[in-house]
Amino acid sequence: MTSFYAWVTGLARSGVLPADFQYPFLVRGFLCVLLLTPMLGGLSHLVVARRMAFFSAALGQAALTGVSLGLLIGEPLNSPYAGMFGFCLLATLGMVYVKRRSSLPPDTLIGVFLALSLGLGLVLLVAVTRQFNVHQVEAILFGSLLTVTDSDLLLLLAVGVVVMVLLAREYNPLLLDSLSPPLAGVEGSDSRFLDYFFAFLLALSIVVSLKIIGALLVEALVVVPAAAARNVARSARGYLVWSVAVAFVAGAGGLIVSNRFLVPTGAAVVLGASLAFFVTLIAGALGRDSLGRFLRGRRAAGIAIALAGAVLLANRMWIGALLVAAGAYFFKFGWPGARAGQTSRPGPFGPG
Amino acid sequence: MSGGATSRASLSILDVSNLTVRIDGQTLLSDVSLTVARGTLHAIVGPNGAGKSTLVNAILGQIRFDGRILAHWRRNGRIGYVPQSFAVDRTLPVTVADFLALTRQRRPVCFGVGRGAARRIGAMLERVGLAGFERRQLSVLSGGELRRVLLAHALDPLPELLILDEPATGLDQTASQWLEDVLLAARDRDDVTVLMVSHDHERVKRHGDRVTVLDRRVVADGAPADALA
Repeated sequence: MTSFYAWVTGLARSGVLPADFQYPFLVRGFLCVLLLTPMLGGLSHLVVARRMAFFSAALGQAALTGVSLGLLIGEPLNSPYAGMFGFCLLATLGMVYVKRRSSLPPDTLIGVFLALSLGLGLVLLVAVTRQFNVHQVEAILFGSLLTVTDSDLLLLLAVGVVVMVLLAREYNPLLLDSLSPPLAGVEGSDSRFLDYFFAFLLALSIVVSLKIIGALLVEALVVVPAAAARNVARSARGYLVWSVAVAFVAGAGGLIVSNRFLVPTGAAVVLGASLAFFVTLIAGALGRDSLGRFLRGRRAAGIAIALAGAVLLANRMWIGALLVAAGAYFFKFGWPGARAGQTSRPGPFGPG
Repeated sequence: MSGGATSRASLSILDVSNLTVRIDGQTLLSDVSLTVARGTLHAIVGPNGAGKSTLVNAILGQIRFDGRILAHWRRNGRIGYVPQSFAVDRTLPVTVADFLALTRQRRPVCFGVGRGAARRIGAMLERVGLAGFERRQLSVLSGGELRRVLLAHALDPLPELLILDEPATGLDQTASQWLEDVLLAARDRDDVTVLMVSHDHERVKRHGDRVTVLDRRVVADGAPADALA
């Protein structure tokens, strides 16, 4: 990896890449973002479709408790994965089991688990801070690029590949089960299996994302990108593309902001995602009038992206060439999944 | 119609014996037994709260029950199902083609609808009078259009047993007639057995082969003219 970092930092020094990439830890962080965003973006739109946003928040808290547990049983401060994953898995199984068995609303049950794991986490955190500097624990609470190692990166790569392959394999049954559990059941899906399966993937993804995003903010990155995507997407494919795009822009932008203004990475990433949400909210609202139609038009989008690339190129950032190419793509093919709103045809069931 | 029904009713596709469903200590169905004959249109009628949808859910294996439900498959053993309600989240960006492709292609729908699936979906929508609706979002469809999409889904591939839970609710006269034609064609031309929960006694009397009147238990079971007398 050292030679790879040397190559990338060399590119940054020669102006091909932005100057931020002169630091190997930022290169490592960017690689993390490249792996995290398709995974969390892909998961996030199913999290929202399956109404599991609050569940994700509870898992983030459980991860915090897991960190404290891991440290107490002697795991290294830099990688308390056994404690995190163990407790998250336990909390996942508990929440899904009780949700399926109880007639209480799911948000009420998850609220109980959230309170339980938060209380336990705080108690354990006090015990942990007697042994460790609280600032070291802060990195896990809010995320920090400085603590991410090559081992974390490899773990993220391995988990990311596994999660994405499994998700792709079960995507269609998961979405059908989100739309109508009875229909999914008739088509041969096992609702119980899908509940546990998706919750397991979510727990796994949250655990490996924790060092970048932080326990308190990881939930935001599995909810906000999909919420932003919903404002503008018009199809399942558009929903995925927008979720991943928002997660990536928020992740990459958050990294740069975190580096330049010395703020926690997780907070910067989540702020970026939230900003993207409001931008897409406005874009979605504009989409209903003629200006919005023009802005959503493939030519306007293509020209805007290509211009942004040209500005980068003028500043001797050769990566701008990629944006020019992307602009040409949008000019030619338009936004993914944006074709919608065909004329209604009246029929026996009315015009709609 | 009745003569045809007698010959069709010689073999059963579904036998329900002593079915009892209890949820949270409440008995929703008690000791229900009925037989659905192959190739017939069998209607379940009864007042609100009679347990009609509960019976359908038990047949579909969605809820726990005591008793026995036995299906006798001859062809693909596929059940087509049109639920009573299909609440679509209005902000969920899923198109009609996305929805229908979920069970018609292995590729994740979020990567797009494949050409083969798209052709098949086009034909399915044409069959229910919704040609050109592929790119419409599910959330903007009217109740009637959504029901037709669900019917298209249920009829492809052709099921051995088609179960519909109050399919005509909220439909106007023309739409109800169209639905009736589709169901009768499925039964008479494609040899599909239709099990339908309905409140429309007149239509059931006209086209049903057999009726089970339910009120948490079987009140009457037989030919429509007798059971609904």
